[in-house]
Amino acid sequence: MLSILNIALKDLTQIVRDWKSFLFLLIMPIAFTFLFGIAFSGNSAKEQDLRLPVGIINHDNQSPLSQELEKSVSASKVIKLKSGEEEALINQVTQKNLTAALIIPAGYGESLKSATPLQLSLWVDGVSNDGLSAQTEINVQASRLFSAVQTAKVLAPEGGPAFDHVLMNALQEWKNPPVALSQEDASLKNADLQPVSEVDNNFTHSSPGMILQFAIAGLMSCAQVVVSERKNHCLQRLMTTSASRVQILLGHYLSLVLMIFAQFILLIIFGSLVLKLTYFSQPLATLLITLSASLGIAALGLLIGVAAKSEEQAIGVSMIFMFLFAGLGGAWVPLEFTGKTFQAIGHFTPLAWAMDGFKNILSRGLGLESAWLPAAALLGYAIVFFSLANWKFKTQ
Amino acid sequence: MESAIFVQNLHKTFRNGSSLKAVDGVSFEVAPGEIFSLLGPNGAGKTTTISMLSALLKPDNGATGANDIRIMGRSLITEPLAAKAMIGVVPQDIALYQDLSALENLIFWAKMYGLKGTLLKTRVAEVLDLIGLTDRANDRISKYSGGMKRRVNIGVALLHQPKVIYMDEPTVGIDPQSRRSILDGVIALKNQGMTVLYTTHYMEEAQELSDRIAIMDHGKIIANDSHENLIRLVGQKTRISLSINTEPETMIEPWKACKGVSTIAIEESKINLLVDDSNKVLPRLFETAAAKDVRITSVEIQEPNLETVFLHLTGRALRDA
Ligand SMILES: Nc1ncnc2c1ncn2[C@@H]1O[C@H](COP(=O)(O)OP(=O)(O)OP(=O)(O)O)[C@@H](O)[C@H]1O
Ligand SMILES: [Mg+2]
Repeated sequence: MLSILNIALKDLTQIVRDWKSFLFLLIMPIAFTFLFGIAFSGNSAKEQDLRLPVGIINHDNQSPLSQELEKSVSASKVIKLKSGEEEALINQVTQKNLTAALIIPAGYGESLKSATPLQLSLWVDGVSNDGLSAQTEINVQASRLFSAVQTAKVLAPEGGPAFDHVLMNALQEWKNPPVALSQEDASLKNADLQPVSEVDNNFTHSSPGMILQFAIAGLMSCAQVVVSERKNHCLQRLMTTSASRVQILLGHYLSLVLMIFAQFILLIIFGSLVLKLTYFSQPLATLLITLSASLGIAALGLLIGVAAKSEEQAIGVSMIFMFLFAGLGGAWVPLEFTGKTFQAIGHFTPLAWAMDGFKNILSRGLGLESAWLPAAALLGYAIVFFSLANWKFKTQ
Repeated sequence: MESAIFVQNLHKTFRNGSSLKAVDGVSFEVAPGEIFSLLGPNGAGKTTTISMLSALLKPDNGATGANDIRIMGRSLITEPLAAKAMIGVVPQDIALYQDLSALENLIFWAKMYGLKGTLLKTRVAEVLDLIGLTDRANDRISKYSGGMKRRVNIGVALLHQPKVIYMDEPTVGIDPQSRRSILDGVIALKNQGMTVLYTTHYMEEAQELSDRIAIMDHGKIIANDSHENLIRLVGQKTRISLSINTEPETMIEPWKACKGVSTIAIEESKINLLVDDSNKVLPRLFETAAAKDVRITSVEIQEPNLETVFLHLTGRALRDA
C-alpha cells in the first residue's frame, strides 16, 4: 500500500513539475469553453426570433379596447408585430416577408360594446402553416377581448366607471387564470424553463464538453511519465524492490485518477462560479459523474502509457483518442443535434456517457438517480481499460 | 561458511526470431565479503546473468539438472522477497528519474526499499555524502554529468544497506577521475564487509578489484579463479603482437613452426602470438621473416595478463571479441 502511494506521489511530482503543460490543461479548456459557448449562443439567439412577423395598422388607436388588443397580440409568443403603412404591409405579405397584416378598423373598440361589432381584417397567406398559426393566435386574442367586454356588459349594463372596472378585472382574469388552470400552467412553466436556461447560459454544453476533452488531453503528460519510467530503466529497478507489478500499476493509476479528478474539480468550480452553471445544484450527482469519468479516463491513460513504445507515441495516441472521443462523444456538437445512428455510435465512447451525466444535471435539472446509468457505463470502461493495461503490463 | 551468492546451472535463451542462448549453464559461488568479477566481452551474457540473479528475468528451467540461485542462503526462486531484500542492484543503464533531483530520487527509492522516518533521512544523507553530491543534491538528474549520474545510480543501490551488491559495468563511458572514485568506492564497500558481484569488460578493473574473476564468453564461464591462478593458466607466456608489410596470412605457417610459439592468430591485420620467452623467440621470428623477404613494421610485447588469458582460452582478443 505504501509503495502504491509512494509511486503515485512521485508521478504527481513529475507531472506538476512540468508546470507549463499543467497550466495548459487548465487554460485551454477555459478558452475553448468560451469559444464553443459563444459559437452556440449565436445559434440560440436565432432560434428565439422564430416568432411570426405580422404587420399591424391600428385605425382605432385612441380606443382603450383597440389598444388592449394590440398589446395582447404583441405579447403573444407566436407573433412579432411590425407597424407601417397599410399598403406597404399588405405588399410585404404578398412577398412573404410578413406572415400576415392585421387591420383594426376605426371605431372597432366602441363597436365591441354594441350588438354588431366591427370585423377585424386580416391579410394572410391562407395556404401556409405560418399564416394559419398567425390567424389562430389573433382570433384567440380577439375573442378573449370580446368575452371580457361581454362579461362587463352583463355585470355593469349601465356603462361608465363600473363598466371599465369590471372589464379590467375580466381582462386580468385571462392573465391570471383561475385555480383550475394552475396545474397546466405549472407544467407549461417547466417546459419553458429549459429553453430559457439554454438561452441564459451558452456554456451548459461547452463547459462539460471541454472539461472532458481536455481531461483526455491531460493523458499526454500522465502517459508520458509511465512510458519514460520504462524507457529510462526505472521500471526494471522498481522490479528489484519488494513492489509487485500490480502495485506499480496501481500506483500509476492512482496518480492519473487524482490528476484528472483535480483538473475536473478546478474546472467545475470555475464553471459554477464564473459561468454560473448549476454543477452544485446536485452535488452528489456531479461527484458521481466526475469520479467515474476520472476512473474511466485514467484507465485509458494507463493503457496508453503501458502500451506506447515511446513518449512521442503516447502523445500522438492521446491526441487521437482526444479528437475521436470528443468528436464522436458529443463534446463539440451536442449529440441531441445529430441523428439516431450517430448518437448510437457516439455512445461507444466513454465521453458520450459522461456528457449525458453532466447534461442531465446542467440542462435537464435532474438529480442523483439520473447519474447512475452514465456512472455505471464509465466504470465499465474503467474496468475494461485497466484490465487491458494490466494484461499488457504483465506480458512485457 | 555459507556462500553469499550461490548460482547453479543457469540457462537463458532469448526467443525473438532466432533463438539465442545468452546464458548457457552458468554456476559459481561467491563467499561473503568477496569481490567477484564477471569479465567478458560485449554480449557475453553478463547482464543477462545479473538480471536473473535480481529476479528480473526468469531462468529457463534447466533441462540439464536443477538450477538454483541463493542469496545469503535464501532462494530467489522460493523466497523472492527475502532474497531480494539482501541485494542492491546497480544496473548497467542509469535507472533514475531524470526530471527529479538526486535528493528526490534517493528519497523515492529509499521508500521503495522500505525505509521510513529518521532512518530514511540519515541513510539518504549518508549516501549523498558517500557519493560526494551533497551540495548538488537539489539539481535535477538531467543536469548532471555522466559521472555524477553513475554515482547516484550506485548510491540508490546502497540505501537499504544490502549484504550483497551487484554492479553491472558501473564505469562505462565516464571520465578517468569519476572512474577512479567509483573503483575506490567499491573497495571501501568490500572493507565494510559487503559482498560485491562486479561485471566489466575492462581487464584492468577486474584485476585491480577482484578476489576472484570468472571469465565469461558466449554465455559460458570458461575460467573462474583468482587473478594469479588465472595468469598461471597461460604459464609464463608472453603476448607478442606484430604487423608486417604484406598479407598477415603469409607468415602464419612459417611462424607457427618456430620453436617456442604456442598460439598464433590474426586480429585486424595484426598477428598475435603467445610465446614462452620473448627474448628467445623474437630473433627467430625476425630471421624467418627475413628469409621470406617480409618486413616486420611494428612489434608490441606484453607480459602475461588477463588479456593473454582470454586470448589463450578463446583464441580471440578480449577487446573486440
Ligand atoms: N531482452 C533480450 N532479448 C533478446 N536478446 C537479448 C536480450 N537481452 C540480451 N540479449 C542478447 O543476449 C546476449 C547477452 O547479452 P548481455 O546483455 O547479457 O551481454 P553483456 O555481457 O552484458 O554485454 P555488454 O558488455 O555489452 O553489456 C547478447 O547477444 C544480447 O544481444
Ligand atoms: Mg551488459
